[in-house]
Amino acid sequence: MVASGETGLPVAAGVGLKPEHFEQVIGKAPALGFVEIHAENYLVAGGPMHHYLERVCARYPLSVHGVGLSIGGEEPLDRGHLQALRGLLDRYQPAVFSEHLAWSSHGGIFFNDLLPLPYTRRTLERLCEHIEQVQDALGRRILLENPSTYVEFSGSSYSEAEFIGELVKRSGCGLLLDVNNAYISCINHGRDLDEFIAALPLHAVGEIHLAGFHRDRDSLGAPLLIDSHGSAVDRAVWQAYESVLERTGPLSTLIEWDNDIPPFETLCAEAARAQGYLSACAVREA
Amino acid sequence: MNRKVTPAALALAFSTAVTLAASPALAAGDKDKGDKEKCYGVALAGKNDCKAGPGTTCSGSSNRDYQGNAWKYVPKGTCKEIPSPTSPTGKGQLQPFQEKG
Amino acid sequence: MRGGGAGAGLSERLRGAGGLTVEERWAVALLDPEAPTPPDLTSWNGSDPGQRFAVYRNNVVVSLVESLAQTFPVTCELVGEEFFRAMGREFVRARPPRSTLLARYGEGFAEFVDGFPPAASVPYLADMARLEMHCLAALHAADADPAAPQVLEAALREPECLPALRLRLHPSLRCLRSEFAVFSLWDAHRGELEISQVNPLAAECGWILRSGLEVRLLPMCAGDCDFVEALARGNSFGEAAEAAAGDREFDLGRCLATLLRWGMVTSVNGIK
Repeated sequence: MVASGETGLPVAAGVGLKPEHFEQVIGKAPALGFVEIHAENYLVAGGPMHHYLERVCARYPLSVHGVGLSIGGEEPLDRGHLQALRGLLDRYQPAVFSEHLAWSSHGGIFFNDLLPLPYTRRTLERLCEHIEQVQDALGRRILLENPSTYVEFSGSSYSEAEFIGELVKRSGCGLLLDVNNAYISCINHGRDLDEFIAALPLHAVGEIHLAGFHRDRDSLGAPLLIDSHGSAVDRAVWQAYESVLERTGPLSTLIEWDNDIPPFETLCAEAARAQGYLSACAVREA
Repeated sequence: MNRKVTPAALALAFSTAVTLAASPALAAGDKDKGDKEKCYGVALAGKNDCKAGPGTTCSGSSNRDYQGNAWKYVPKGTCKEIPSPTSPTGKGQLQPFQEKG
Repeated sequence: MRGGGAGAGLSERLRGAGGLTVEERWAVALLDPEAPTPPDLTSWNGSDPGQRFAVYRNNVVVSLVESLAQTFPVTCELVGEEFFRAMGREFVRARPPRSTLLARYGEGFAEFVDGFPPAASVPYLADMARLEMHCLAALHAADADPAAPQVLEAALREPECLPALRLRLHPSLRCLRSEFAVFSLWDAHRGELEISQVNPLAAECGWILRSGLEVRLLPMCAGDCDFVEALARGNSFGEAAEAAAGDREFDLGRCLATLLRWGMVTSVNGIK
């Protein structure tokens, strides 16, 4: 169980780097395993984004998380965007690059949301083709993140876990296991979380994401969880995280908090909590 | 409208500029800025995210607001504190939008 | 490079009975609240898929309006949050982003505001949006070091070269000319001026630039804009000075000194 050894990212807890926290990350140099950025926020020519990222990168290992490649999209990949990503990765040499099992652009329009895909053979073939193109263009293996979704497609012929398993097997990409997404999707679609996790290709997990969600209800009053990244990690998600670690051993773990961004100390406290689970897991393994 | 600028005038201006730029008193030479150092930082934000907006009942999924014939929103910000010499009240003229016809 | 060819064929193959692919249906329905929910969506418990789909519709529109609100804070304050967000929704639906980089989203917003009848009672609103879009562009513009003082001193030792000198300006520097007092209004929203003392109908122009990590707005005269625009077109120092000389207020020495003070001259070419 050394899946994350393949990524080069430390097996420790990290946080999503927000511009609101730039000064504190540099000034206070807190104990963090790594930081993660959203690639698209740094595809600008110059100015403060690069100024701060260079300084943060001098102290912390980096993971780059893409949110705009539309890798599951029906249309051909955006070559210009891929090239820009390659430039960013060449400049900052992150340990990991990850993207989403989703689509976000169509007909030249960018929707700024991670939109769901029907789990069909056609989608699988298209994704494998796109992942191969991305891995070729970026010159590295990528991690793909399991989605949080609010609807399912009647045309799907695979379960989500089966689909991800096939994808990993055929394309050779790794899995970014977002435990919050897994929990959200299981609640939103009446799935059993343990069964879902057990059916995933856990050997391929290179990184874990944890985040907070927002509670809503569907038209029948059943819980509908929204992937808001705007609060602390839920108790149920911590539990799921602990049980994932029991299966996988310790893995690089990111706290994502993108909405209602908290004081930096709050974010670090969440990371410290994840670090606690990681350390306990490492002790059990030893 | 272009006027000839003599090489001597260019040289004088260039030399003045280099001297001024090297002197700490230059800030006072900034037009309309006085000697106060003003800093217009723009709030830094990473706009590409993988978060979702809160709730399903928010405005983004509501029906079209702008039907072309009437609009329910009226500017209500600081523009109403701004003098408007052409307005009968002397303040910003704010009316609900009504299309003709 | 098989993406292009394969993609076109793929898109054909994906077309269902209705002739539209999943994404084509979604693309329409995400931006048009009156469009029907895409077909073939289900939920495990039989709850309304339309209500679940609305989460996506909401995410798309609200997140893009939020991005506009961040880019245009003073434009928003001028008309209030409610008006701004409603106008933003119209813009998002009419002009959704063409780029995945939201740091660029908002190009065309000023033109949209110009042609948006409900905003007509705030005539300076579109120019404020122009000003704030310039701020965003300046913030993320490429970095460039200022020219070394020795280079400038060398130019002074060769006065006969001055007219033909080529000055390259910092990538963040841009000009705005407005029929309205948008620079003063901007200052007022930063607490630098009393808002009631600003005459919005006084024409203003100025520079927007990034010095270090900070974006700065400098009210200047029209000649200062003429001068900078001429240099940006590739004109020589002498030609730019002549382009600006039509403005009686223009002071070449002070203009150049301001450029130097903010590190806006990044290279000087044409010294023997």
